[in-house]
Amino acid sequence: MENTKLLIIDDDPDYVDGIKSILVKAKYHVDAAYNPKDGLAALKSGGYDLLLLDIMMGRGAEGVMVARKINKDPKLRDIPVLIITGIREQMAFLFPGQPVHPHLLPTDALLEKPVEPGVLLEKVEALLKEAAGKKSKGA
Amino acid sequence: MKSAPKILIIDDEEIVLDSCSHILKGSGYQIVTAHDGMTGVETMKQENPDLIFVDLKMPGISGLEVLAKIQEYDATIVPIVITGFATVSSAVEAMKMGAYDFLPKPFTPDEMRLIARRAIDKRNLVLETIRLRKEKELLREQFAAIVSHELKSPLGAVQQSLFGLSSDLADSLSEEQKNKILRLQSRIADLIKLVNTWLRAISVDISTIRENFGPTSIVDTISKAIESVQQHAVRKDITIKTSIKEPLGIINGNEVTLVEALVNIIGNAVKYTQMGGLITIVAQKYKDEILVEIKDNGVGISTDDLPHIFDDFYVGKASSGDERRSGVGLAITKRIVEAHDGSITVDSEVGRGSTFTLHLPVLKQENKINQ
Repeated sequence: MENTKLLIIDDDPDYVDGIKSILVKAKYHVDAAYNPKDGLAALKSGGYDLLLLDIMMGRGAEGVMVARKINKDPKLRDIPVLIITGIREQMAFLFPGQPVHPHLLPTDALLEKPVEPGVLLEKVEALLKEAAGKKSKGA
Repeated sequence: MKSAPKILIIDDEEIVLDSCSHILKGSGYQIVTAHDGMTGVETMKQENPDLIFVDLKMPGISGLEVLAKIQEYDATIVPIVITGFATVSSAVEAMKMGAYDFLPKPFTPDEMRLIARRAIDKRNLVLETIRLRKEKELLREQFAAIVSHELKSPLGAVQQSLFGLSSDLADSLSEEQKNKILRLQSRIADLIKLVNTWLRAISVDISTIRENFGPTSIVDTISKAIESVQQHAVRKDITIKTSIKEPLGIINGNEVTLVEALVNIIGNAVKYTQMGGLITIVAQKYKDEILVEIKDNGVGISTDDLPHIFDDFYVGKASSGDERRSGVGLAITKRIVEAHDGSITVDSEVGRGSTFTLHLPVLKQENKINQ
């Protein structure tokens, strides 16, 4: 796991730290970017196995923009993305009681903030496994 | 500064227009006039008056037709009918068509001024009500935004930091210290849950629930609802008995919200029933309705509380100590049930228990595809 590199893009340092601690404890290598621009640059520099992406950043849903850019880039498209956001409740206004999944990317999964350590690790592991499976199939 | 109220007078008699204008001008109103119904309607659209006096009997389109057009154009404009034949029936008909009042000819200047003043007051009240309603709606939306953003985000950040902290310190904390962190986490989780419930309370919008309607099985809804409260029931050694009287039929609705409605009621039954209690759920068809009855032998609801239990943010007095309540569950439940064209009734006695009954209309199956 120590060779598994994760990137967090979130503008709230408290969330970044809280999530990072859990992942570091589980022996992942974790980098963080605090805005979409730095995040995309880091992602392009390469080597990341998974992205944890916040949606509500800056002046609005800037995370959605990041997701779109990733989706358009053939080099980044296959990186699994775990969306971690507090936005679900807001989107759920339309469908009370129903978890709303924005499906921004073909590979994404969604967790709501704050995310419990157990749930976070389980989801990260599952996404990595799924991505590895796809890779070996493709090769 | 508010401009002087504008009054439109529609009458085919020049002398009536003149004298009315004269009477009202002295009271600081702006006056516009029209000689027949068609011109009157056009003038209304250009001038947007607060108040319209309209003669019932005119050549061309009648006063009643003008009333209909006023209603259609802007229902807040106050129409008053001037009638030459002060018959009760024509006045009643005019009132039915939306006239606010009527002025029988001949009338004195004072009578006209009084009616005009009352009508302007009425118009102002109507506009004020609309403004307040809009403001209330805006406040509701803003409150939702504030609660979700200003309250929920920082709480979530605190919680996330605690999760991180407990990971960081997992190897160095004593059991007692770990326990303290767990207690912090649990209290914050409660707060977040409360904020979410509030958000739900102000965001359950009946029109949007209806958009997701489809044929829905009550049996499935009940079993899903029980599933989600089962854990709490087991903890209190409460038995939940279900009895479905087939054939039940299906309803036109939305399962997710109906489950939420039932969870609120069954969850309350669990909350307000002592250890080892019994909850009975009976579903049966009665005439064109499916009745779902949720009966507990718990603490019951006092007669003081009973009329208010479906109000937003109402928390009853007769609650069992440490249970956490937000006072919105039943209010949401009621809204959900009403969105399904159903109703909810309750029967309760302190010390004996409560029975909530949902009445939901059976979906009439015009095409019996499955048979």
